[in-house]
Amino acid sequence: MWAIETRGLRKVFRPLMGGNPVVAVDHLDLQVPVGTVFGFLGPNGAGKTTTIQMLIGNVYPTAGKAWVLGYPAGSIQAKKRLGFLPEKFQFHDFLTAEELLRLHGRLARMEPATLNRRIDEVLELVGLMERRKSKIREFSKGMQQRIGLAQAILHDPELVILDEPTSALDPLGRRRVREVIQYLKQRGKTVFLNSHLLSEVERSCDYVAILNKGRIVKQGTLDELLVNRSVVTIELSQVTPTIREALGRIAQKVQPIDERRIVVEVEQERQVPELARAVILAGGELISFQAQRESLEDLFIQTIEGESK
Amino acid sequence: MWTIVMLTMQEAMRRRAFLGTLIILAALYGLTFLPKAFQQALGGSPKSFELGVNLMILFGVDIIKFFSSVLAILLCAGAITSEIERGYLAAILPRPLHRFEIFLGKWLGVMLFCVANALVWTTLLWVSVALQTKPRAEMWHALPYVLLYPMMYGTVALALSSFSSAPIASMFTVAAGAFAYFADHFLRPIAAFFDVKLLQQLVSLSEWVVPMAVLKRLVQARVDTLVPPGMNDAPPVGSEVVLHFLNPPVHLLDLVYVGAYLLFWLLVGLFIFQRRDVQ
Repeated sequence: MWAIETRGLRKVFRPLMGGNPVVAVDHLDLQVPVGTVFGFLGPNGAGKTTTIQMLIGNVYPTAGKAWVLGYPAGSIQAKKRLGFLPEKFQFHDFLTAEELLRLHGRLARMEPATLNRRIDEVLELVGLMERRKSKIREFSKGMQQRIGLAQAILHDPELVILDEPTSALDPLGRRRVREVIQYLKQRGKTVFLNSHLLSEVERSCDYVAILNKGRIVKQGTLDELLVNRSVVTIELSQVTPTIREALGRIAQKVQPIDERRIVVEVEQERQVPELARAVILAGGELISFQAQRESLEDLFIQTIEGESK
Repeated sequence: MWTIVMLTMQEAMRRRAFLGTLIILAALYGLTFLPKAFQQALGGSPKSFELGVNLMILFGVDIIKFFSSVLAILLCAGAITSEIERGYLAAILPRPLHRFEIFLGKWLGVMLFCVANALVWTTLLWVSVALQTKPRAEMWHALPYVLLYPMMYGTVALALSSFSSAPIASMFTVAAGAFAYFADHFLRPIAAFFDVKLLQQLVSLSEWVVPMAVLKRLVQARVDTLVPPGMNDAPPVGSEVVLHFLNPPVHLLDLVYVGAYLLFWLLVGLFIFQRRDVQ
């Protein structure tokens, strides 16, 4: 069983007052394994939020099907098992943090004793224990995001969907969210994370899917997607044609920056030592050698730009 | 659903619309003591004092009708689409609730709030009368029918709010009320006295579209004894048919129609909210 599964999911928005229909999601096939942290990436307008809205039952698909933990998306059974932090939300600001959580606990049909215990736990987890009696209107944007996260995990859901959870947070707040994600992962929960902060996704996620124009263009584990491809910046006393030629025999791409520096891209991480050897054998004087694994950001940009061409 | 009901009532209490009506009604409350004040200042017979009290009760009931309706419209018109746009429903909709529970919870919350308000205002009216003369019960007899006003306008506004923003939903509801008022108070006498069939049909149609005149008659039947002598007498001209058109009798079926009307709008709102995308 998948935590999330979609088959041919499609959403077309038809403007009421004429105009062209907009295909927001186009035959989306997605499988999210249970117990993983899944990053859902894509440029603005790729259809990420629409997909999430279909998963939680707020938007009806035009075609295709979606299941959440084996139940049809949007069903009461599915909703019971998921927690959701929306990208844009507003809480009733006359409530205190504790009252807000109590309200959401009741809406989630939690038992009063469990609710009391969980309120303490989640407030501690998101670092708002000392502000439990403060009204939401007194909270900063970052604190509101954290109380939003608290309400999403309050009923101990099996799946947590986070739509841009770190957008309003400072680095400390982001670290707190990462810790919450790790805590959920350790407890066997599935986290579905939609974020533009690719470095955050890279640090938190096991699996990633990249969405563009409503379609999945890449999907897999981070290790699979960032296939050991490495970029190496080599500094020499002088870059000679012999050295360039020697590197070109190993590397996929050789790009001189100036007379002393050259950037080399190799397919496999294990090829990096070969580069050093090649430079020395070609008579080069090595000054510095900096290997860098391809980042998720590089992969994302390459994928989206490649799609656009 | 009760959590939504309670939340809606809490929200309503913090709305400026409620505070506004509270301030206006507090200011108007002083006017309810005018009969006694006039009697003390200008003298006058007990009969004219009684007449003053009766008129004050009639106006009081009208004011409760009006402000309950305004409050219901303002609270219901922003209950669905505006709450979606402002992001209030974003964290509530993913909870294990059916959409109909949210819709009915909001409806019930606003209705209970309006009922509580009308109860308070009616009590204040009763206190004012009791302080000036003996306690009177007519306003209590009229109250169940007075409550149908906020129920009717609130339900229409809520149904419209399921697909339109608060200004549009309230504007259309007020326009419907204005149309019904105009048809009953202006078109009806013209249609009756000049015996214009087309106008008479239009007035009858308006009662089906917005049964405000029906509600007016239901309330009137409970406060008829307060109406000054001669005010409701038949005019000296016109046939029986015309007179009947001018002042139709109250039937139990009228109440059934109002019930069906409320149910219709409730179902319309529910159907639209159930089917629409929310994002």
